[in-house]
Amino acid sequence: MDISERINTTPTREDELDSFLELTPALVQKRRSQGRIILDRFLRNKAAIVGAVFLIVLTIFCFLGPWLTGHNNPNAIDVTNAAASFAGPSLAHPFGTDDVGRDELARVMAGGQVSLLVGLTSMLMAIFIGVTLGAIAGYYGGIVDNLLMRFTDVVLSVPLYLLLFVLSASFSDGTPRSVIILIAVFGWMYAARLVRGEFLALKEREFVLAARTIGVRDFRMMFRHMLPNAIGPIVVNATLLVSTNIILESVLSYFGFGIKPPGASWGNLVSTGQGLVDVDPKLVFIPGLLIFFTVLSLNLVGDGLRDALDPYMTER
Amino acid sequence: MGRYIIRRLLQAIPLLFFVSIGMFALIHLLPGGPEAVLFNPHLTAAGRAALRARLGLDDPVPIQYLKWISSALTGNFGFSFVTNEPVITILGRRFPPTLELFASALVLALILAIVIGVVSAVRQGTLTDYALTTISYFGIAMPIFLLGVFAQDIFAVQLHWLPASGTATLGYSFSPVEAFFDHFEHLLLPMLVLAASFIAGWNRYMRSSMIETVKQDYMRTARAKGVGTVSMLFRHALRNAVIPLITVVALDFGAVAGGATITEGVFAWPGMGSLFLDSLDRRDYPVLLAMLMLSAAFVIAFNLIADILYGVMDPRIRYS
Amino acid sequence: MGEYLLEVQDLKTYFKTKAGRVRAVDGVNFAVKPGEKIAIVGESGCGKSVTALSIMRLVAQPPGEYAGGSIYFEGQDLLELPESAMRKVRGGKIGMIFQDPMTCLNPTMTVGKQIAEGLRIHLKLSESEARKRAMALLDQVGIPAVSERIDSYPHQFSGGMRQRVMIAIALACNPKLLIADEPTTALDVTVQAQILELISAVCNEFGTALILITHDLGVVAGVADRVVVMYAGRVVEEAPTEELFKNPRMPYTIGLLESVPRLDDRVHGELKTIEGAPPDLLNPPSGCYFMPRCFFARSICRTRPPLEPLPGNPTHRKACWVDVTDPAEQAYAERRRQRRAEAQRATIEAAASSQAHTS
Repeated sequence: MDISERINTTPTREDELDSFLELTPALVQKRRSQGRIILDRFLRNKAAIVGAVFLIVLTIFCFLGPWLTGHNNPNAIDVTNAAASFAGPSLAHPFGTDDVGRDELARVMAGGQVSLLVGLTSMLMAIFIGVTLGAIAGYYGGIVDNLLMRFTDVVLSVPLYLLLFVLSASFSDGTPRSVIILIAVFGWMYAARLVRGEFLALKEREFVLAARTIGVRDFRMMFRHMLPNAIGPIVVNATLLVSTNIILESVLSYFGFGIKPPGASWGNLVSTGQGLVDVDPKLVFIPGLLIFFTVLSLNLVGDGLRDALDPYMTER
Repeated sequence: MGRYIIRRLLQAIPLLFFVSIGMFALIHLLPGGPEAVLFNPHLTAAGRAALRARLGLDDPVPIQYLKWISSALTGNFGFSFVTNEPVITILGRRFPPTLELFASALVLALILAIVIGVVSAVRQGTLTDYALTTISYFGIAMPIFLLGVFAQDIFAVQLHWLPASGTATLGYSFSPVEAFFDHFEHLLLPMLVLAASFIAGWNRYMRSSMIETVKQDYMRTARAKGVGTVSMLFRHALRNAVIPLITVVALDFGAVAGGATITEGVFAWPGMGSLFLDSLDRRDYPVLLAMLMLSAAFVIAFNLIADILYGVMDPRIRYS
Repeated sequence: MGEYLLEVQDLKTYFKTKAGRVRAVDGVNFAVKPGEKIAIVGESGCGKSVTALSIMRLVAQPPGEYAGGSIYFEGQDLLELPESAMRKVRGGKIGMIFQDPMTCLNPTMTVGKQIAEGLRIHLKLSESEARKRAMALLDQVGIPAVSERIDSYPHQFSGGMRQRVMIAIALACNPKLLIADEPTTALDVTVQAQILELISAVCNEFGTALILITHDLGVVAGVADRVVVMYAGRVVEEAPTEELFKNPRMPYTIGLLESVPRLDDRVHGELKTIEGAPPDLLNPPSGCYFMPRCFFARSICRTRPPLEPLPGNPTHRKACWVDVTDPAEQAYAERRRQRRAEAQRATIEAAASSQAHTS
């Protein structure tokens, strides 16, 4: 007699009811979907919520801000205001102006757009390439896997910053596009190794064997069956990858290899500010702190996701 | 254990070999690569040909590689395109400042990370732990160049407590003792910034390792023997808890080159890192190639050392 | 101090958890004479390990707390001692060995150093003296090739050997009392006997009193002079070993003894069990804890029975209102047992027939 039949023969006397409930506790508990469970766990993490809120506010600030506040031209020089350079915060210029009189708020928002966009896009590229290659390597194993491992071993042996500096000095034209490609070119390797590891483990699980016995083909197996099981670590890795990439972009831009002026990114805003720091420190601190808080928020959200997805979370 | 070391060594060598090929190829593929040195408007065609022959640019690339790698193995990395000095001499000159910066930062970071981690673990759940964890978290999120920039701005530019860059104050003649202190003042800021970037991650690692170790059964056995708290912490717990940390330290140390470049760049510290940036600027390819190779060798070497260290420190692996 | 080395009086050890206070040990009384060997038996979760840890004051507080009672050792109440004094007792006067030898030794210290540590702390021996004594101890517990083994690491020993090392560590400073918490549970059957013999032998040789904690009644028979039976954090019966086995007076003890399979049992008979489960220690019932599972239970059992000696037999104590030797009581218990068996049969048949209905 299965559960459904049991329901139809529910006894009505109280004493029998108790023993009945003992046997089928599953009927009494509400079933939550897995997604709901994860969301609840994430929402319980206050730090992660703070991070997420900050990121949302920041995105709105950078992308809608110029349109909403009218500070939409990072290159305009304010000719109406006499004391235009290095001005302090004022109603017209809430973040003041920079060394040539450009509105700092507009520059910060424009820089934010670039930094966030570069971070996000390079992550998406890197994840796409990395997951695909990692899945193939992990699933097929053998030579393909070996090749991938050898190759990433070689590339990852050279310190990342050195490689990036050399490549961007030679190939980058200072536009966001080349920076994105450059960062993604190295970012995919970590994701690939991660996914490969997950797939190696998943390959041995029964559900893969079961699917194979009913004739599921490789491609479908990888992407419809195995990948959803690996999605947890991938999502966490992706979030943290955005923060890493934002750091990479800002380092590159700071040293003059990434986004080049007059393009603005928080990184090169910090570097131009650095040259003028004895005159006007806020030009360094505003973009600098924004980088810091963005990275911090991304880390908080990433850790929150990791904790929410971890089925064996123990007390920290 | 010995067999394990030999196996790892044998794995490392082909890796190094492939890296060398990769780096050599990379340098030659760069636009404005070694060939660019020939675009000197004052060179006649004959002069250009002679220069090419002299620099060995006439040979096919694989031959150039073989020539390079064979002399590199003996320590001869060629000559700088800019100053004509032997690359190895330039590297040798820039090495001590980097070593000074890094060794001091590493030692300081290791000691502090262990202390803070242990304190955090022992006082787990208290305000102290909470505060230290929060600060560490901030430290992990702070990119090192930003930390350097902020530190420079606050302590050097605004407060004038420490010099902002360089290794010594120019234009003064110091007595040896004064010179020592002046140099130390210049070292302090970059060293602290570098150490801070290590401490943040390491202390959390130490903390969780310590918490795990203290939960082990053998700690209860020690307590049942009548061992005191201090002794338990240091003789029993630390010995076990520190092992995974040392591995992480070795790995982080291997990745020195990236951090060095950035820190030296921010503080204008005349070590290998700023040499890299300068050479990049001036397209001094032999130096760049040599540095890429050496930094990769360093990473590979320290990955190997990390593995070996773990085996040495854990008797379970050492005697098996 | 009197004649007893250790007197546990009304010990209460509770644990604060999110769900409430768990009364792991809820009023335990027993005593040990110098040189005596007693066994504490009971099922998992009855509080025997917590009792042992409480004697050594090894219970982590929080979440544990010593909520009441006293533990008199050589006349002093261990629960009142300052920590520094307690540290001298641990290892020096009372030694303890634990259940799992695989995890109880520090993997990064040699065996010799681990033994010597206690010697240097309590007996203030020098390093070389301690080393000599450690070697002698290793020899005594039956470790071969002592001069090499002393510098070996724990992972180089088998489980049984590691337990021998633990014994050496516990007895190094010649304590008056040895507490062995399930010392053989994690070992192979063949090794179990050896370890028990070793423990027994060394205790005899040095006149060390022994508290052996186990859930295995077979282990008890060969080693202990007296047995203390615990249930749900309380002592329910206590008697010299032979007396307990021949003449159990508490229904729980009877159930325990009956559940041990015997060589002369029918080959295809059922294993006898005690039906039901131990009480919830968060919210224990009032009265006798065993009552819900006891066929001898009467209405008087709603009041907690005190631990009293049998009339005419002061060495045998039980915590039970009922005289199980009384034929009337036995008949009553048998009737209840039958009614229960019938009710169970009826339930099974009902389930089977409705299954036949629908299938």
